[in-house]
Amino acid sequence: MIKRLARSFGVLSTLICAGFFVFVFAYSSPGSPSGYVNDFANILDVDTRTLLEQKLVVFEQKTSHEVVVATIPSLDGDYIENYAEKLFREWGIGKEDVDNGVLLLIAPNDREVRIEVGYGLEGALVDSEANAIIQDYIIPEFKEGNYVNGIIAGVDGIIAATEGEIVSTGGSQKVNWEEIFFFIIFAFVWGINIIIHIFASSKSWWLGGVLGGGAGFVITFFGLFGVTFGSGVFITIFLAFLGLAVDYFVSKNSEAILKRLNSSGRNNGGWTSGGGFGGGSSGGFGGFGGGSSGGGGSSGRW
Amino acid sequence: MQTRKNAGFIKWVVIIGVVLLLASWFVGKYNSFVTLSQKTDTQWAQVENQLERRFDLVPNLVNSVKGITKQELDVFTAIAEARTRYSGAQTTEDKVAAANEYQSALSRLLVITENYPQLRSAESFNALMAELAGTENRIAVERGRFNEVVGEYNAATKRIPGSFVAMIGGFKQKELFKADEAAQATPTVNFE
Repeated sequence: MIKRLARSFGVLSTLICAGFFVFVFAYSSPGSPSGYVNDFANILDVDTRTLLEQKLVVFEQKTSHEVVVATIPSLDGDYIENYAEKLFREWGIGKEDVDNGVLLLIAPNDREVRIEVGYGLEGALVDSEANAIIQDYIIPEFKEGNYVNGIIAGVDGIIAATEGEIVSTGGSQKVNWEEIFFFIIFAFVWGINIIIHIFASSKSWWLGGVLGGGAGFVITFFGLFGVTFGSGVFITIFLAFLGLAVDYFVSKNSEAILKRLNSSGRNNGGWTSGGGFGGGSSGGFGGFGGGSSGGGGSSGRW
Repeated sequence: MQTRKNAGFIKWVVIIGVVLLLASWFVGKYNSFVTLSQKTDTQWAQVENQLERRFDLVPNLVNSVKGITKQELDVFTAIAEARTRYSGAQTTEDKVAAANEYQSALSRLLVITENYPQLRSAESFNALMAELAGTENRIAVERGRFNEVVGEYNAATKRIPGSFVAMIGGFKQKELFKADEAAQATPTVNFE
C-alpha cells in the first residue's frame, strides 16, 4: 500500500518537474492502427486479441465510444504521459467533435501503463477512477506477469465506467457557403465571356439550363466543396434555372451581344482550382474518428 | 484608331488583373494570420481552463495537508499569494509568471507531503493525488499545444513576404509559455 502510494508520488513529482520544460521529448510512432487492439509488443495471443477486438467493436457500435488497446515494445526514454497523448492525437481516437475515445497504453518492457482519456469522456472516467482501474485491476495481474488478464480487466473497467455516457455524434456536415459563393462568383466572372459567346452563337435557348443542371449534378454526385445531398439538389436546381435564364436572355439578344464581344476581343481566362477534397485513408482498417485528448487519465508503474 | 483603343483596353485589363491578384493574395494572407491568431487565443483559453482547474483542486490538497503539517506555513502563504497574483494578472506574461510561481510552491508542498506517512496512507488522499497528476498533465499538454500554435503563428508572420502583410495588419509576435528559469531546479525542503 505504502509502496504503491510512493509510486504515484513518483509519477506526480516527475510530471511536475517535466511541466517546467517545454516539450522536447522524443516520440516515434509505433505505426498505424490495425483495429482496436494493437499489439506492437507481442504480449497477447491470437484468441485474446480476437476476443478483445470483438468486444471493442461491439462497444463502439453500442455507444460510439472508441476504446483502443495498444502495447509498445519501448518508450525510447519518453514519458508515458507524453507518448500516450501524441499517439492518441496521431491515431485520432474517438469521434471528431465529441472526443469520446480512451487509450489503454502498455509498455511492458518499461513496466509502465497509462489510460489516456479523450476530452469527451473526462467526466465519465475521471482521473482517480482511471487510477483505480490501473492500481486495482491491471497492476496486480501485471505483477504476476499475466498481461492477458490484466488487459481484459482493464478494458472491462474502462467499459463499465464509460458505457453510461451518451454523446451525440453525427451532426450536420459543415458547408463552407462563403467559399462556394466566391467560387461561383469567380467562375462566373471568368467564364461568362466564353459562355455567353457560346450561348449567343447557338440558336437554342435551353442549352444553358442543361449545362447548369449538369454542373449541379456533378457537384452533388461527387460531393464537391463538401456539399451534402440536400444542398446539392438545391444547387442543381438553382444552376439549372440560372443557366436557363442566361441562355434565354442572350439568345434573344444574340446579335447585339456577339457584336459587342467581337469588338472587344475574346478574353480567354482560365482559373486555378484550389483545395483538395480530403484523402481517405487506405488499408484494411478505416481508422478512428479523429478525436483528441488533453492529457486526462492516469498512469502507473509496476 | 480601333487598335489603339484595344491596346489601351488590354493595358487596363492587365493592370486591374495584377491588382486583383495582389489584393486577393493580401486578403488571403491576412485571413490566414487572423485564423492562426485566433487559434493561439483558443489554445490559450484551454491553458487557462486547466490552470483554473488546478486552482480549484489545490485548496482540497492544502486543507488535507494543513491539518497534519502546521509548521509549513510559508508554503501555504506562497500558494495563496501566487493564486492572488494570477487573479490580478492582466497580460499573458504576468499570468505565465504567476502560474510558474504557483507551480513551484505546489511542488514544494508535495515534497513536504511526501514526508508524512499518515497522509499518504489515506485512500482519499491517493485519489486526490491521481487527480492532481491528471491536472498537471493536462496543463503540460495544453501548454505544449499552445507553444506549438504560437510557434506556427510566429513563423508565419515572420516569413517574407507574409511579414509585410503582418506588419501592415499589425500582427505582432506572441509570447511562448516559457518556464520560469529559477523554478526549473528540483525543489528541496529541509526538515530540521
